[in-house]
Order: sequence, then structure tokens, then C-alpha cells
Amino acid sequence: MPPLELLLQQTLNGVMLGVMYALIAVGFTLFFGVLDVIHFSHGDIFMLGAFVGLSTLLGLAVVGLRTPLLALPPAFAVAVLVTGLVGVGAERVCVKPLARSSPLMTLLATLSLGLVLRESVLIFYPRGADPKPFPQLLPAGGFEVGGVAVRYENLTILAIGFAAMIGVDLVIRRTRMGAAIRAVAQDPEAAQMMGVNLDRTVDATFFLGSGLAAVAGMLSGFYYGEIHFIMGITGGVIGFSAAAIGGLGNVYGAIVGGLLFGVLQTTAAALIPRGSEFRDVVAFAVVMLFLIFKPSGILGEKSVERV
Amino acid sequence: MLELREVSTRYGPITVLRSVSLAVGAGQLACLLGPNGAGKTTLIRTILGIVRPVSGSIWLDGARIDRLRPHQIVARGVAVVPEGRRLFPKMTVEENLRMGAFIEWAPADFAARRDHVFSLFPRLAERRRQSAATMSGGEQAMLAMGRALMSRPRLLLLDEPSLGLAPVLVEQLFAMVQAINQSGTTVFLVEQNARKTLEIAHHGFLLQKGEVVGAGSAESLRRSELVRHAYLRT
Ligand SMILES: Nc1ncnc2c1ncn2[C@@H]1O[C@H](COP(=O)(O)OP(=O)(O)O)[C@@H](O)[C@H]1O
Ligand SMILES: [Mg+2]
Repeated sequence: MPPLELLLQQTLNGVMLGVMYALIAVGFTLFFGVLDVIHFSHGDIFMLGAFVGLSTLLGLAVVGLRTPLLALPPAFAVAVLVTGLVGVGAERVCVKPLARSSPLMTLLATLSLGLVLRESVLIFYPRGADPKPFPQLLPAGGFEVGGVAVRYENLTILAIGFAAMIGVDLVIRRTRMGAAIRAVAQDPEAAQMMGVNLDRTVDATFFLGSGLAAVAGMLSGFYYGEIHFIMGITGGVIGFSAAAIGGLGNVYGAIVGGLLFGVLQTTAAALIPRGSEFRDVVAFAVVMLFLIFKPSGILGEKSVERV
Repeated sequence: MLELREVSTRYGPITVLRSVSLAVGAGQLACLLGPNGAGKTTLIRTILGIVRPVSGSIWLDGARIDRLRPHQIVARGVAVVPEGRRLFPKMTVEENLRMGAFIEWAPADFAARRDHVFSLFPRLAERRRQSAATMSGGEQAMLAMGRALMSRPRLLLLDEPSLGLAPVLVEQLFAMVQAINQSGTTVFLVEQNARKTLEIAHHGFLLQKGEVVGAGSAESLRRSELVRHAYLRT
């Protein structure tokens, strides 16, 4: 049995990862809510967000903005904006036009788009095949409580991640656009009958979900210290799994699913011999158990069986 | 106020409405009667822009609306109690009412409008924080009606609002529709309950297999052989 401190430490690390997964998962679940589709290039949108963030940070450094307070807000803003708009473009080109045809078409179209995004970064980003070091702008140092090391950097990641989630929650629950998104998710035709502009609502949803993925991408850069053009593959699969565990269509489910997946990965690493090699195996095994025994997810109501 | 000129609507290859023409004057309570599958709901969806007619034109207050999108049509003062109510099941009563006022979203008199709906349907006030899905059929019918009134519509479309209601509630509902009309709202009521409908309507249209096969004052429709035979079973 590993010491309690190790478990606590790994749980903390798991929550860190989980916040990033949750931010990706919320996009999957929002898109499924409004259009009943799985947007398989969403993982690559997450990767793109990291690269846009990195480029912005490098650009800001060139003009002398290197301190966290001066560089981080504009970098996050640009990453969210650009990635959000790319997400809307993706939706308009290869998600919504196909949403009414067979799910296989959307699968194919979005998988292809993901490939295009990856290859574009590979080809057009200077030395795109190499991992790119990410500027370490978050506060260094930390402290220890009860044998658990807490780094300021990690606390900052948690704070930014939770702030983003709270922000989305407020948008969805308190604003007119949020009401439109919920209404479309529950009954698109009834929503239109109330005067909801369907196209604009779908656009807004993809902007929101893709912007969140960009935040996740940047946090991932800060956490791992580097980003890579293939990071969206794992990120996408994990984000999708988290959304499925939580129940597709349910935002809170996606957040819970993301956190659960992160904690599963890290505690598996601590509890099982050679666990760090098996952490993904364990986490995905749990995902499969969920899909078998509770296909509608932890908080899900919409059944995914029909997909 | 509302006019359809030779409107035809298709779902794919199937023509559901064939050259439908009808008009509803401002302040009127007009009805559309017809058996199941006649195309009544399709007509409502066509007016609202949910489906586009393949030919013909639709006019609202003299302006052509058949190329507008649903939200633009709703913004011109049209509200609907759709077939099957179509409430937002995971939203509370109050949130559903807010959706009814979606076009303006937060009008200055929002509270007054909501309280007006609550005064018409006290049950809704009691259940304001309850989700729509957990309400009884009668309460859902009230909520659908209240939701439609939240936008203070000039034209109210009702698609079989009495369907599935107990007789007492049907009675109340028709009285309410009449009261809404008398307070100045133009009403277009789609129904299968011909007897009750013709008691409150000023005039109406008969739809069969997508075609208007009869039209006239409520009085004349009540007397017509076609209606007596097909709807009143006398
Ligand atoms: N979404 C749809 N797609 C294809 N056919 C439809 C659709 N909705 C209705 N129909 C068909 O159109 C006809 C008219 O339906 P509807 O307008 O619902 O009639 P009503 O409301 O008078 O009962 C029916 O034959 C029905 O099967
Ligand atoms: Mg109908």
C-alpha cells in the first residue's frame, strides 16, 4: 500500500490534469447537445489553441512583453478568439452541413479535418515536427502541506481552469445566448419557435467550446512545459471519454468526467505496480466499464445508444 | 393580418400542402379544422418558417414573410403553442416563461408579464421552480399557453391546444383563448374539436389532404353538410 501522502499527491496531480480534460470535454458535450454530433477534430482544435497561444506569447516577447501579467491576458485572449473562430469555421464547413445526414459522414468529415489541422501545424509551423518548449510564465516555487508538494504553478493552472469553467457555467445559465444554447439542446424546433436564431446559437456554441479547448491547450503547455502537433489525438480521445463518462450533453457531467479521468490516471500510477506505464490502460478500462454498465454516463439523460 | 396565397409545402417528394390560400383579419379568432394528417401542423410550421413553402407567398401585416427565418418571423409578433406543447423539459416553469420572451429577453415589464401569466394560471406560480418535465399534462398545457403569451404576441397560433386534456380543462382553455382574442390578440386556432372551436371562432377553414375544402363564418361552417358530416357527427 503506498503511503497516504503519495495518494494525496497523485490525487492533486489528477485534479490538475482533470481540469484540462474537463475543459476539452465540455466542448464535446456542448456540441453534442446542440447538434447531436461528435466533433472528432475537437482534440486538434485543443492542439491548435496551444500553438496559437505559444505563437502569441513568442510574438509578445519580441515586442518586450515578457512578464506574466503583461503577456498572459493577451495570449489567452488571442488563443481563445482565434481558436474559437477556427472552431466556428470547422462547424460551418464540416459539421453542421452534415449533421442531418448519417453520423458516419460527420465522423469522416471531422476526422479528416483533424488530420488537416495536424498536418498544417506540422508543415507550416517552423520545425513543426519537434516538440515546442512553452514559455514558463506561471509563478515558480511552492510549499508543502502534510507531505504533499503544492506548486504555485499548479495552483495557477487550477485557478485558471476553474475560472474558465465557472465563466462558461455563468454564460450558459445566466445569459440570453446561454438560454438559447440550452433551449436548442433540448428542442431545436421549439427553440426556433421562441425566436432563437438557430445558426447563430450553433456558432456561439462552437466558439465557446473551441475557446475552452484553447484554454486547455495553453494550460497543457504550461503544465508539461512543451507542446507537440500530435497532442490533440490523446487530448481528444481523453476529452471525448470524459464527456462520455459524464453523459454526453451534460456540461457538469463533462467536468466531473474530466476530473475523474485525471484522478484515475494518476492514482492508477500510484496504486498499481509499474502503474505509471499502465495509467492510460487503467483509465480507459474504466471508461469501457462505464460505457458497458452506464452508457448514458454519470449525469447523462440523453441516451447515446442511438448514435 | 395573416394571409397565405396558394402556399404549397413539401417534405422531400411528398406534397403536404397544396395551394393553400387563407386570410385572418386583425382581431379575428380564426380556426382551421381538419382530420389527422391533413397538414394542419405543417401549415403552422410553414407560417413560422420552420419549413419553407415550395410555392406561394405568406404575408403578415402586408409584408411578405415566407423567405424569413423563424426568429425573424417570431420577432414580428407571432407566438405559438405548438403541437404537443414542446416545453423545454429540463427548464423550470419560470425559465420556460423566460424563453417565451426570448426575443426581448429582459423587457422592462418582464415581472408584470410573468405575474399576468401567473394570475391566469395560479398553478404555474406554485410550481415556478419545478422543471417542466415533472408537471402534469394539464399544467404543461397551461405553461405552453403562458409561454406563448410572454411575448405579448399580436398573432397567436395554437396547434391542437386541447389535445389530451380533461373535459373541464378543455372548457377552461377555450374560454381563455376567447378571452385572449377579446383582449386584442389575433388568434389562429388549429383544432380537431370542431364543436367547441366553432363556438368561439369568428370564421374558419377546412383542410383535407392538404387542401382547403371549405371556408366561411363559424355560423355557416356549423351548418355546412361537410362539417356536420366529418366533424360534428350529427
Ligand atoms: N417532418 C415530416 N417529414 C415527412 N412527412 C411529414 C413530416 N411531418 C408530417 N409529415 C406528413 O405530412 C402529412 C401531414 O402531417 P401534419 O401536418 O402533421 O398533419 P396534421 O397536423 O393535420 O395531423 C402527414 O401525412 C404526415 O405523415
Ligand atoms: Mg398536427
